[in-house]
Amino acid sequence: MERLMQIARKVSDKVEIYSLDETSNSVSFENAKLKDIDSKFQSGFSLRIIKDGKVGFAFTKNLIDREEFVENALSSLKGGVEAEFDLPLTGNLPKLDTYDPSIGSLENNTIVDECNRICDILAPRTEGQINLYAGCGINRLRLMNSNGTDLSTDYSYYYTYTAIMYPGSYASISREGIYKKFKKTPDACLKYVLDTYNGSAKEVSPRGGKMKVLFLPETIYVLMWRLWHATSGKSIYQKESPISGKLGKQIFDSKLTIYNDPLNDRWPGARSFDDEGTPCQYFPIVENGVLKNFYYDLHYANKLNTKPTGHGFKSSGWGGDTITLKPNPHLNHLFIKPGDKSLSEIIRSLDRGIIVAGALGAHSGNIPNGDFSIGLCPGLYVENGEIVGYVKDAMVAGNIYEVMKNVVAIEDTLYPASMGTYPAVLFDDVSVATK
Amino acid sequence: MFKKLRSIISKTDADYADIRYEIKRETKISFNGKELGQIGSNTTDGYVIRVLKNGGISSVAFTKETDAEKALESASQNAHLISKNIEKAVEFAKTKVIKDTFLPKLKEDPRKVSIDEKLELTRKYNGIPLKHEGISTTAIQYLEVIREKYFASTEGSEIREDLITTRINGLITSKDGNLIQNVRAGVGGSNGFAILRNKEGEFEKKTGIALDLLKATPVKAGTYNVILNPSMAGVFTHEAFGHFSEADLIEDSPTMREKMQLGAKLGNNVLNIIDDPTMPDQLGFYRYDDEGVRARPTQLLKEGVLVGRLHSRRTAAAFGEPLSGHCIAEDYRYAPIIRMGNIFIQPGTKTFDDLLVELGDGLYILDAKGGQTSGENFTFGAQYAYLVKDGKLGEMIRDINITGNLYKTLQNITAVGDDLVLCQIGGCGKGQLNIRSCNGAPHILVKNIIIGGV
Repeated sequence: MERLMQIARKVSDKVEIYSLDETSNSVSFENAKLKDIDSKFQSGFSLRIIKDGKVGFAFTKNLIDREEFVENALSSLKGGVEAEFDLPLTGNLPKLDTYDPSIGSLENNTIVDECNRICDILAPRTEGQINLYAGCGINRLRLMNSNGTDLSTDYSYYYTYTAIMYPGSYASISREGIYKKFKKTPDACLKYVLDTYNGSAKEVSPRGGKMKVLFLPETIYVLMWRLWHATSGKSIYQKESPISGKLGKQIFDSKLTIYNDPLNDRWPGARSFDDEGTPCQYFPIVENGVLKNFYYDLHYANKLNTKPTGHGFKSSGWGGDTITLKPNPHLNHLFIKPGDKSLSEIIRSLDRGIIVAGALGAHSGNIPNGDFSIGLCPGLYVENGEIVGYVKDAMVAGNIYEVMKNVVAIEDTLYPASMGTYPAVLFDDVSVATK
Repeated sequence: MFKKLRSIISKTDADYADIRYEIKRETKISFNGKELGQIGSNTTDGYVIRVLKNGGISSVAFTKETDAEKALESASQNAHLISKNIEKAVEFAKTKVIKDTFLPKLKEDPRKVSIDEKLELTRKYNGIPLKHEGISTTAIQYLEVIREKYFASTEGSEIREDLITTRINGLITSKDGNLIQNVRAGVGGSNGFAILRNKEGEFEKKTGIALDLLKATPVKAGTYNVILNPSMAGVFTHEAFGHFSEADLIEDSPTMREKMQLGAKLGNNVLNIIDDPTMPDQLGFYRYDDEGVRARPTQLLKEGVLVGRLHSRRTAAAFGEPLSGHCIAEDYRYAPIIRMGNIFIQPGTKTFDDLLVELGDGLYILDAKGGQTSGENFTFGAQYAYLVKDGKLGEMIRDINITGNLYKTLQNITAVGDDLVLCQIGGCGKGQLNIRSCNGAPHILVKNIIIGGV
């Protein structure tokens, strides 16, 4: 990387090099039987150069011909992509606990044994189909720029995903566990999946209409996706945020506090710097229902004449190959502040309502406008404080700027899930369409 | 190249091994509104090894040639670990040993078009919506992906095939006060650069729709009889039915397999569905899949009866059904999985006007906007719709998202039009992204569709 830096510096004003090495193993069990074990060892480099106020970008998997790599970045300068920002000089960052070396020696047979153990516990206790996904990996990231920034972080992870599936579909009750090292799936997680599935195994067809709707940690991402979009510096700049003028104003129920916390190293993937070298920080998005901040990378902060907030990440909505992506504003460490009620207390308080246990079609609908319209996959129907069965062929729909004004209760525990770490949240007066 | 690949897999003691090496060249030009956000061409490469040993199969993807031995060793160990833990050994259906090089015929090779010309064409299409005051922004992108694939197996197959995908597509966003609407627009294909030229009409039409949507009425949630246009009906075919005919998605689900037995009467008599990756000039075209199996047209539904399924070598053996050549990877980062090629509802005899008369009252729903499926349940969005009263098109309606049950919906398709259209832009995200996933249909009439509204 140092040699690449030297070569690139000679022909440009600013240089940024990003390298990522990833190794991972994944194990899948379908219908309580081992199905696949796959591994990956991947590495790659991306190079950003700035010259005469324009930015060039290139990436490669193998750093064989450095001159050609630099040449490729130089040739992309011709397109004239503006770069009015400078690259940061960052050092002395807080030390985060992100890496557990024991992952390096974790063997696949340990993971397989653990999955077998889970199947042995679940199988005799449910008629539903059991699917498990588990795996581990190590990512090593290094970021350097010509202003003297040279940062690196290694992080390890181990995950399990436990699901019991309803007949004839992939609709399931599931829970994810994610840790920095191997850990047996806690009994509480298995009990939750078992009890929730077994309690809802009967198919029911309730009437539709407006009612209370509980989003589980596994499905809150449907709502957060819309908020991600609306608070991104990119959307503010592109004038496609419906809340661009609402900083300091009440947009949601005062029970809701939503923040990005990259420094929280209880879970894997904590970061003290973003993919452009800007320091990360605790960052409130919504506090007690009041909109506090929009988040930026270097480019959009510069465009809007504000400070970068440490949210420039090489991510895309669809996974994507990190090294091939340019940084964009992203909320990669989103949390909703937990409330004061347990999940069972919340369910007991429901006279009539739907629990969204799985969602289909979160990516369709008018995301910029805050609209969502999801198929229940499944929904659980609650009457008089008890789950009475599962619902399919039904939709829950609304607009987050209306739905999230009506929070009834928030669960007291956080769970890592899609696009963040969340508790379950109960909303009132949400539209449910059924057949 | 094949000599090197052969030498890597020759070191295995497994029953079977294959290796795929790919060079992937991506050219991306993206605009956000008026601003150019990205431009450039980059080449990456990598390998995937698969090993079948003692009835266990495992894959390793890697990017450094020097990791080849380690990868083969890991795959072998993992396959062995699987074999110790399964009751039924994995087998591969027999396939012909093939030595072939297949480079598709192109109408204008995009490699011979300068990046400046690609930039200007993208800029031109991006500029069409931006001329209008009600359009707040665009996100229009040129994407060219060239996969140069080399496949070798210990059975002796050696196949070189190129997949060349080009497209210009993205989102057009309109805004009026706090109301934001967006519409997808795009052109593309698998047969060269020419398909992208002279397509101003597509971007003009979609701009008009984005502007009209600002004045459209939100749909009322409920159950409707509808006509789906070819784009919507194509996505239905892909999402609701197509995924369910991918053998790997139902292989380990006894409840789903029970419903999807060959010979089962799943749909209305008017319904015929086929997946045919061998149609040249269509987005999903290829000759060999990523297991070296030659693609073949696979009739899935015949007069409503399930008659075929999409297979990998593994699932064809497990189901005891014929190979179809549908095991495809996104690129060198992944082992192949079962994917659709060109899936579509075969045309019937009704004109669009016949369908309107048959519908009477309901909705005419147009242009898909993302969909998702989970076994028998599906949900997908539409860009817009029109109210239909007494067989006549009325006002524009927005916020259409539909959900349903596969079996009920297949029965509820009561009429099929004569006007087949296949899509030009693909993006199926079954764990891996397939940008060549192609679907299509004629207009179809569907009874009792649930619409969520907002």
